Amino acid sequence: MVEVTDVVCSLCGCVCDDIVLEVENNEIVKVKKGACSVGKAKLLGHERIKSPAIRENGELRECSYDEAIKKAAEILYKSRRSLLYGWSSTVCEAHKVGVELTEDLGAVMDNTASVCHGPSVLAINDVGLPSCTLGEVKNRADLIIYWGANPAQAHANHMKRYSYVSKGYWTEEGKKGKKMVVVDVRKTMTAKMADVFVQIKQGKDYQVFSALRAILRGHEDVVPDEVGGVPKEQLLEVANMVKESKFVMTFFGMGVTHTGARHNNIVNAIQFTRAAHLHTKASIMPLRGHYNVAGINQVCTWETGFPFAIDMSRGYAWYNPGEQSATDLLYRGDCDAAMIIASDPGAHFPGESLKHLAKIPVIQIDPYANPTTEFADVVIPAAVSGIEAEGNVYRMDNVPIRLRKILDTDYLPDEEILQRILTEIRAMREKEGE
Amino acid sequence: MQTITLKLKDAAMSGIAQVPVEVDALTPDKLFGKSEAELKAVKVWWGNKQEAAGDLFDVSVAGDAGSGDEVKIVFEGDLTRVKRIGDGMKSGEIEARGDVDMHCGAMMEGGKIVVKGNANCWAGREMRGGELVIEGDAEDNLCAMYRGEDKGMTGGKVMVNGNAGECVGQYMAGGEILIKGNVDRLAGLSMSGGKITIGGDAELFGPDMIGGEIVVKGKVLEMMPSFRPDGTESIEGVEYKKYLGDLAMGEKKAKGTLYAR
Repeated sequence: MVEVTDVVCSLCGCVCDDIVLEVENNEIVKVKKGACSVGKAKLLGHERIKSPAIRENGELRECSYDEAIKKAAEILYKSRRSLLYGWSSTVCEAHKVGVELTEDLGAVMDNTASVCHGPSVLAINDVGLPSCTLGEVKNRADLIIYWGANPAQAHANHMKRYSYVSKGYWTEEGKKGKKMVVVDVRKTMTAKMADVFVQIKQGKDYQVFSALRAILRGHEDVVPDEVGGVPKEQLLEVANMVKESKFVMTFFGMGVTHTGARHNNIVNAIQFTRAAHLHTKASIMPLRGHYNVAGINQVCTWETGFPFAIDMSRGYAWYNPGEQSATDLLYRGDCDAAMIIASDPGAHFPGESLKHLAKIPVIQIDPYANPTTEFADVVIPAAVSGIEAEGNVYRMDNVPIRLRKILDTDYLPDEEILQRILTEIRAMREKEGE
Repeated sequence: MQTITLKLKDAAMSGIAQVPVEVDALTPDKLFGKSEAELKAVKVWWGNKQEAAGDLFDVSVAGDAGSGDEVKIVFEGDLTRVKRIGDGMKSGEIEARGDVDMHCGAMMEGGKIVVKGNANCWAGREMRGGELVIEGDAEDNLCAMYRGEDKGMTGGKVMVNGNAGECVGQYMAGGEILIKGNVDRLAGLSMSGGKITIGGDAELFGPDMIGGEIVVKGKVLEMMPSFRPDGTESIEGVEYKKYLGDLAMGEKKAKGTLYAR
């Protein structure tokens, strides 16, 4: 039995890096410290895809890596418009090969931000983002606002490590010296812990942000008695808490990115943060879901100039979420092949989009079987990044952290699978050119 | 005068996927004076490959032209997956006989486009001049900006006979939009100039406005909470309430005007 310390968790955007494991006979037998219950479940592992496979007459037939990779390359090479989607649960080294593959094919590359914090990214395109690291939040923030987010259940270590409950240099009293505001449509587990719970009407976030901005800018006279289901007195109370704090941190989640004005909610949340700067220090950060969704946005941005929904069909990057984003592309029936890596649209995409995905040839690269496997035509199992493969990832505050390899495996890492597909495609092109 | 008729072949949209055809290469100022053979050879993007226009469209030409002004292009067939009709056009006329896909009239500088049906998202995106008439409905982002740009429409005139979607004229800085029907939320978002007239109903219009004006003739379904009432004004003999804002941008920047009944 070996104890492994400082293990990095490859589950959510918190990317906790203080985990202690017990390993015996190339198997993780115990999570001794650090991980939350969901992180623990991932580290302890569950059933894997056993072998590469190709669908024939409706059934998956097991085959070699070589055969599956060749078949995948054939599908992509023939395609006029393919979608390469997923990426958030693998490392940046694989993303880099993904961008190269996209460019080589003239494909569309999109990642799970598209159905997650894509709206936040769009808002950043419009108005920028006054943000900081989680370390700064831990050490400085005395007012925490969670808007449309429920970290007590979704990012279980977040409050403990970085925000409301943590103790830092200027926040040595922990939650005793802090205040927390939660804005949500229902009283979540996080909302129950809050000093002030603002219960907003579904889809009305946009106008509530605008009202708060007007108040912070000294125009409370024009704000009506109630905005989005929130009484004016409570808006004034929250605005006062902002004014009286030393450092306000707003974290936001899916409850505000996908309702009402959607990405413009986030534009308004960012502008609310700006308005708070008239009185105090303020910062804002999306609560990213997958452990490396921030990383795929980073890699795509430094390689192509754009963070997601990138169309390389004309040989240069064209970016227009709503047009090249995966759900829209599929909903419209615009693409004729897809490669799904490190994600599961089968479980998360709208039904109409899935109907098209089930119709076209689909290649899946993933360690685990999931609903996408049910209609995938080529299935390629991969090593689990952060357990069986190493590489770089970006935490939700865009701080890069290196995932470590803990166990040995015969499964290929994502990077190698992609590189081999790309090599096959280039060989096909060369052969055709002869 | 030269009339060029381009009818999309059914075969282009009969595969497993309906890969959009992008026709920004087919504008009057780029095609004037070309013979039928030359027109058929013009390269058009279809997915990750360029194809000859003649392989995707039935092409016919009548007359001749010495400049783009003397050309009328007629698009026919199923145009629901034909993108960028009249994208960047400078002169002449385009008539699209049916519903059109995204970016119709985007970056347009001059000439006229008539869509005899509905237009998908981003019609008139960053339009600079000319005239765009949509006889049906327009979807979201009509006359808005490309992602991250700080200016949408800056000039020209757009008329929609039906309804329009969200974010009409987002970041609009000039020009005129007239919508006869209703619009979805956030019309005139971050607008700095120009005029939007909405014949029907509207909600949450003018947020973050720092200039320009919006007139809503129908019902106001929901008003932004950050505008200051400023008396009434008569427009074409009808009395309207006037509002100034958006005060969420701060007093100095809040130079937009809303008129609603």
